[in-house]
Amino acid sequence: MRFTRRALLALPPLTLLALRAPFAAAQVSPRQRAPGDTDWRHYANDLASTRYAALDQIDATNFDSLEVAWRFRTDSLGARPDYQLEATPLVVNGVIYSTAGSRRDVVALDAATGELLWIHREDEGERARKAPRQLSGRGVSYWTDGTEERLLYVTIGYRLIALDPRTGQRIPGFGSDGAVDLKTEFDQEIDLIEGDVGLNSTPLVAKDTVVVGAAHTAGNVPKTRDNVRGYVRGYDARTGRRKWIFHTIPRPGEFGYDTWLDGTATIGNAGMWCQISADPALNLAYLGIELPTGDVGGQYRRGPGLFGESIVAVDLDSGERKWHYQLVHHGLWDYDIPCAAMLLDVPVGGRTRQLLAQPTKQGFLYVLDRATGKPIWPIPERKVPKGDVPGEWYAPTQPIPSRPAAYDVQGVSDDDLIDFTSELRAKALALAKNYRRGPLFTPASMFEREGTWGTLTAPNLTGGTNWPGGGADPETGVVYVYSKTVADVMSELPNDDPKRSDFAVINVRGMPDAPRRGDHTYGALTVEGLPLLKPPYGRITAIDLRRGAHLWQVAHGETPDTVRNHPKLKGMTIPKTGRSGNVGPLVTKTLVICGEPGVFTLPDGRRGAMLCAYDKASGEQKGAVYMPAGQTGAPMTYMLDQRQYIVIAIGGGAYSSELVAFRLPAA
Amino acid sequence: MTHPSLRPLLAVALVALPAVALSQAAPRSVWGGVYSAAQVQRGAAVYAASCASCHGDALGGNDQAPALAGSGFLANWNGQTAAALFTRIKTTMPLDNPNSLGAAKVADVEAMILSKNGFPAGTADLPSDPGALGAIAITQDRPGS
Repeated sequence: MRFTRRALLALPPLTLLALRAPFAAAQVSPRQRAPGDTDWRHYANDLASTRYAALDQIDATNFDSLEVAWRFRTDSLGARPDYQLEATPLVVNGVIYSTAGSRRDVVALDAATGELLWIHREDEGERARKAPRQLSGRGVSYWTDGTEERLLYVTIGYRLIALDPRTGQRIPGFGSDGAVDLKTEFDQEIDLIEGDVGLNSTPLVAKDTVVVGAAHTAGNVPKTRDNVRGYVRGYDARTGRRKWIFHTIPRPGEFGYDTWLDGTATIGNAGMWCQISADPALNLAYLGIELPTGDVGGQYRRGPGLFGESIVAVDLDSGERKWHYQLVHHGLWDYDIPCAAMLLDVPVGGRTRQLLAQPTKQGFLYVLDRATGKPIWPIPERKVPKGDVPGEWYAPTQPIPSRPAAYDVQGVSDDDLIDFTSELRAKALALAKNYRRGPLFTPASMFEREGTWGTLTAPNLTGGTNWPGGGADPETGVVYVYSKTVADVMSELPNDDPKRSDFAVINVRGMPDAPRRGDHTYGALTVEGLPLLKPPYGRITAIDLRRGAHLWQVAHGETPDTVRNHPKLKGMTIPKTGRSGNVGPLVTKTLVICGEPGVFTLPDGRRGAMLCAYDKASGEQKGAVYMPAGQTGAPMTYMLDQRQYIVIAIGGGAYSSELVAFRLPAA
Repeated sequence: MTHPSLRPLLAVALVALPAVALSQAAPRSVWGGVYSAAQVQRGAAVYAASCASCHGDALGGNDQAPALAGSGFLANWNGQTAAALFTRIKTTMPLDNPNSLGAAKVADVEAMILSKNGFPAGTADLPSDPGALGAIAITQDRPGS
């Protein structure tokens, strides 16, 4: 039974009743918290984005005996099934809250049984159809002042909605009837339907402020450099009033404007699409900014360009910049800051430091003092290769952390190429001859049909590490990051279609009439169907922030069928290769838990992806349970009535999305 | 105009065909030449118009859309049927207008995807009927290898 706004308005007396006696429409039964119950109130459990829960009922001795407690299928939500549920659900006092389905509905479920308690649906029509960030999104956020509670989330059509968790109804006093139109009060005029801005991450809720980022259409050929600006805003959690706005692309007179040699009048993007961390004691939110003017083209924005690819610490109440740190100057590799920085207090060199640890697409963990923005260990500026694409500008240096060491492959050297057999390696070397190569931050190059076809790059433009984020252990100061290892090609071509883009030179990574040399077709970075780079294809790295050093690194993900069964590898014993994808780990008192990002065929013939548990101190795999599809979100965990649950979003390929909950068998 | 004496034969033939088709529906794989070259041409046009802006000119994908060719794609679809891929495309794509491509266009795009993944062309088109597609397995390994 749906208590939609329209239904309520059709019955005026009931409407009054619903507003004045909210329990009349409550779908959530009142519940007394049991001793030991825990909540999960943020995307990564806390404002520090640790994705850590100090629970140990599930441990190395019993992980393999986990059973499915419940599953929530999402097929019937939205106009067609969703296969890419990226949400981490929240749990508050025994109720799960999440976004779900292709219309990004919000659902409340009983956390013990998965029973659906209520659905909230927003039909945004054409505005949703045109939105740059579709599907179910990464979840909802939660606010309380100890008495009142609300859920907050951003719709596909880019509106901030506040819901009553008991009823799923919009809260009338918030914004305009429970909604703030994020395409307004944006310090820029944009079309409410066509304006290229949206979001699928969750808003930050810290104290009484809601911080909302911005995302744009992804892709290496942007329609225009003069796109919507991805300014970041803070709103009052009670009223929805806009408290502040931060210009990620500075205007004349604003700090950072002088880092743009061509000014910023026709410069867009520089959104902030990742999750956000905050330190309430310092009253700071840490924003992770992406590239300006699309993903890779830098021709119209000469200069380092603050605040592209920068961490910006802003005051929660005023939005004023307190410090910033640019990770990539004048970025050309789509190395957006993809996820929240993790905040930990860790003893380093004899005294406790307030750390901020930022995982990235480029495979570095940048570690700064989160009060000042200063690096904990030196991050010297190092010379990087200069490119030769006409009209492009190149930053002469990039900041390169001295420690911790990179946690994934950077640049494509001979040693990074496939080497299962000498025959495969020889083919890889021949393939690589068609491209330029170099260390990290080697730029894209022109596609020359008779010469080199561009630049081979790694990490590619989806990383490394991406949106799910890492996990961190506040007790030990160790952070855990998943990253994938996939090569890419970055080529530049003169643009012959002004309707397609207003860039004079565009980035391509392939073409319909791709040229061929030998058995290599431009853009096909495989050798006999195998990945060009040697495994691991996916890995989890544990980094000890006390020392700025790796603690352990393991391949994460079973060897894909395409490798295991490959005719050229017949009879060989290949160590587990790991699997590439976009996943993030959960950390508990004893375990690091992460699902595999893709399916493989198990020895018993089933296809599935395992939910794996690693000893957090050693990285030794301690258990794995079957899931019918790969992880598409990042897992969370809670105690409810003396039992620990792990809930994870899965789906992909031919398997539509669901939330699946695991727990131990009843004693 | 059909000669009257041929009509009963034709009627029998028409009735007989489904049965013949069923008995020949032994498990096939994408290695058996399940699409035609002409179909790939049509599929490439549909792909350029409806798919390339997200999935890339070389099917390489981007932050929001997965790759449709290469080891990652095959690892996810190995062991599925061509019907599963067809249904996924037809019901969910393109992202801003799902279920807008008719069955014929979806089959054409799927043929193009199969060709980009190295599976051989045959003489007949890939069917646009999920029932028939269900008999075609996407297997990364050539049968018998």
